[in-house]
Amino acid sequence: MTELRLEGVSKVYGANGTGTSALEGVDITVRDGEFFTLVGPSGCGKTTTLRTIAGFEAPTDGTIRFDGREMGDVPPERRDVGVVFQSYALFPHMSVAENVGYGLRFREPPDGVTVDDRVADLLELVDLEGMGDRDPDQLSGGQRQRVALARALAPAPDLLLLDEPMSALDAQLRESLRRQVSRIQSELGITTVYVTHDQAEALAISDRVAVMNGGRIEQVGRPQEVYREPATRFVAEFVGDNNVFEGDVRGRNGEYSRIAIDGETFSLPSIPDGADRVTFCVRPGALSQAADHNRLPVTVETSEFLGETVRVNGRWNGRRVVLQLPAVPESAELTVGFAPDDAHVIDLDRD
Amino acid sequence: MSRPNRSERGARLRRRSADVRRWLERRALALTTLVTAGVLAVMLYLPVGVVFGEAVIDDGAATLAFFRAVLTDPFYVGVLADVFAEPLAVKTHLESLVGWLGAISVAVSFESPLPGVSLPVPWLALEVPPIRKGLFGFTAYQAALSTIASVALGLPAAYVLANYEFRGRRTLRSLTILPFVLPGIMVAVGFYAMFGRAGTLNQGLALVGLGPIPFIEWNPLAIVIVAHAFYNAPLVARVTVAAWESVDARSVETARSLGASPRRAFRDVVVPQLLPAILTGALLTFIFTFMTFPIVLALGGLQLATVEVWIYDRVRRLAYSEAATLAVLETLLSLALTYTYLRYESAQSGLARAATAPSRTPLFPDRRTALSPRRLAIVGYGLVTLVVFVGPLASLVVGSVTDGSGFTLAHYAFLLERQLEGASYQTLPWVAIRNSLLFGVATLAVAVPMGVVVSVVTVRAGRGGTIVDTLAMLPLAVSGVVFGIGLLRGLVFGVSLPGGWQFRVTGGVAIVAAHAVAAYPFVTRNVSPLLSTLDPALVESARALGASRYRALRDVELPLVASGIVAGAAFAFAISIGEFSSTVLLASGSQTYTMPVAVERYLGRRSGPAVAMGTVLLVVTAASFVVVDRVGGRFER
Repeated sequence: MTELRLEGVSKVYGANGTGTSALEGVDITVRDGEFFTLVGPSGCGKTTTLRTIAGFEAPTDGTIRFDGREMGDVPPERRDVGVVFQSYALFPHMSVAENVGYGLRFREPPDGVTVDDRVADLLELVDLEGMGDRDPDQLSGGQRQRVALARALAPAPDLLLLDEPMSALDAQLRESLRRQVSRIQSELGITTVYVTHDQAEALAISDRVAVMNGGRIEQVGRPQEVYREPATRFVAEFVGDNNVFEGDVRGRNGEYSRIAIDGETFSLPSIPDGADRVTFCVRPGALSQAADHNRLPVTVETSEFLGETVRVNGRWNGRRVVLQLPAVPESAELTVGFAPDDAHVIDLDRD
Repeated sequence: MSRPNRSERGARLRRRSADVRRWLERRALALTTLVTAGVLAVMLYLPVGVVFGEAVIDDGAATLAFFRAVLTDPFYVGVLADVFAEPLAVKTHLESLVGWLGAISVAVSFESPLPGVSLPVPWLALEVPPIRKGLFGFTAYQAALSTIASVALGLPAAYVLANYEFRGRRTLRSLTILPFVLPGIMVAVGFYAMFGRAGTLNQGLALVGLGPIPFIEWNPLAIVIVAHAFYNAPLVARVTVAAWESVDARSVETARSLGASPRRAFRDVVVPQLLPAILTGALLTFIFTFMTFPIVLALGGLQLATVEVWIYDRVRRLAYSEAATLAVLETLLSLALTYTYLRYESAQSGLARAATAPSRTPLFPDRRTALSPRRLAIVGYGLVTLVVFVGPLASLVVGSVTDGSGFTLAHYAFLLERQLEGASYQTLPWVAIRNSLLFGVATLAVAVPMGVVVSVVTVRAGRGGTIVDTLAMLPLAVSGVVFGIGLLRGLVFGVSLPGGWQFRVTGGVAIVAAHAVAAYPFVTRNVSPLLSTLDPALVESARALGASRYRALRDVELPLVASGIVAGAAFAFAISIGEFSSTVLLASGSQTYTMPVAVERYLGRRSGPAVAMGTVLLVVTAASFVVVDRVGGRFER
């Protein structure tokens, strides 16, 4: 199938490249058959990246290659990509079958099957057998999105691009559709780029994730890597709940380093010599009342009951702290601690 | 051995032709855009340019003498002539202004406004010392009066349409677009048939032993203003109703719950949202009536000459330089007004569809409330609109089959006789009908693709699109007469090209060009709003699936804006059928006259044949509307 490579892709809006910058030197390699997700807050450039891949927008700088072929100014209709939009973009004047079959007016169906068979196959793939004669406006939101997916896949594209395809759906539908997309993608083995602002969705569905912010890639990695070992403070705070602290390095204590924050001392995994300041994070779940290291007294402000757990927002020395506890705390003051190995160092600095 | 066999060669040929087709498809949009730009350049910008050139070039040398002559002549600009002559004598001008203001007085007296009827009415007399308005001043004056009359007649209609429910409300709302496309000369003849000496009004008065009152001769300006209101009051009502219906009922309810009385909530929440629409309607009315032509020509003649009528008269007298100079001044004024309008319109384009439309109460819920003062007022207003809107058209039909003494078919017999026995230099009815239909269809064929292409190019082009949009909307600001002169002097008389060649466009082609250029902005105005509400992802999806830009347009966008295209086509046809101003210039002395021109030519002698011809025009116009309605067109977007 297809490997996608972006090299130094930049996009500047406005006349003569003097306007606002949407992308600043994005380098990405999406491997053949991979499910790759671009995730970030709105305005981070993830959709712009997708649109340059599809050919709807030309990058100001940099190159995009499909299997080594430079795309340059190849128009979208000759890139062999399937695109699914958040708004579904079904053609309202065509039936479901006509929508799915539209791309087959320009490309032969694969494997020598007829157009009708191909359309039927795809409707079956997205669990919409026999719905071909309906009009798009007779379908529910989830069904429409599945038609859009079938339509994008019908001409057997080299690359599937999904732009926030589930944002308009309610939470339960989103989860079942997510599993369906994931199943279809692995069945077909098609290289897929998925754009979402929902970090939980990104972690659940992807082979690899690229976290974007301000037109740049902050980190690329497998979901577990991005979650457990965030490369930057932005990633640590964007992906899941997190507590980020900064402290001064105060020498060593055996295999651990000693860190001071507001006069309190903490133990962290060994830090290389020469660093004076450290930024590290501790997941809420790692802070427990039972831990006997690195204890900090927390004033509880609010508690949110989430079912299995309770999310507690509190303060320690005026800093916001998020805890994940098994039950709503009974008093407004409690003390939690964390094991040194549960802290992840994000950044080191010299004074 | 290696020679290609037949099937191979056939396959190669097929591939070649498929390549050519794909090449064409890929460039189809660019090519049509280029053709449209070419047509606009030759048929719109060249003629307008010729008019401008004529105004500033004398014997091959650039000159401003024509402008100086017009601007310092009190006949044209009235009291402002002194100001233009000596712009620096500010003190003198201010003194004369103060002297004039000091002489204004207001008095209340009893007068008898109807001649021959001694019915005293308290009359608020505003004594204004006479001021020489000049041609431009008078044109603006009658436009201002027409605007006031149109707003006064249109606002109650908007109130009723937006707030009351009754049978036929939606139909009535759709019908407000109708006067706008009725041929001006036909409406003028309708007013003749109603207010003339032998008109239906005087026939009615005769039944009760009154009259005849020569309404038109007695106050032609008043009749012209009512005729202008006939055209523009529905326009004012239309834009105001649209704004009224987009007021969110929840916002009124919010104001009420915060303590506002119904009256106060209306003033604080509804009125501010209506005012922009009313102003838009008023501004458009002013622009249209400033450039008015057939109505003034037919009802007032030269004694009520507006700039437009005077220009027409100058052209008839072959005073081209003077006509061109006046045309340029008029165009500059109307361009400024149109620009103001467009700026204003775009500034308030945030007008969103209401989340919850205001509710409407039944107009006549039961017998008990039917006689409330408010409902009586509405009934009274309804009668006035009946007289103003139905009166002239009904009088036209009635007048075509009656004379002073009763039912007659003499007027139609005259038309038939003229057709059968008339000489070729005379105006023959069937030729006029045939030409009108022919030009109408040809206009449709040219204006619809042009309008659609302009829509497609402007809607998706961002800021560049605004410039193109403004350039393409120029026909709205250039009056028919001005455009007619340009075509006449530019294309009909011929433009010299290098190498001794001459470029000429004459006869029917020139008329169709004039009609198409006047009509395509209405196609654009109908298509663009629909096109701009389409999700851009639709086109992008089609392209990702392999469609070229042209195929995406053909397969996706055009089918989805079909209703706008049909409505625009209906406009284009109606405008072609009714166009008078440039046609009357281009058709003079040739075989290419149309129905409106024929109506005007018959009007010269007795009014009977003109009224009959006007009725034929009414029937053809109405028939085309019915046809469009049947094929699924809508007259509003």
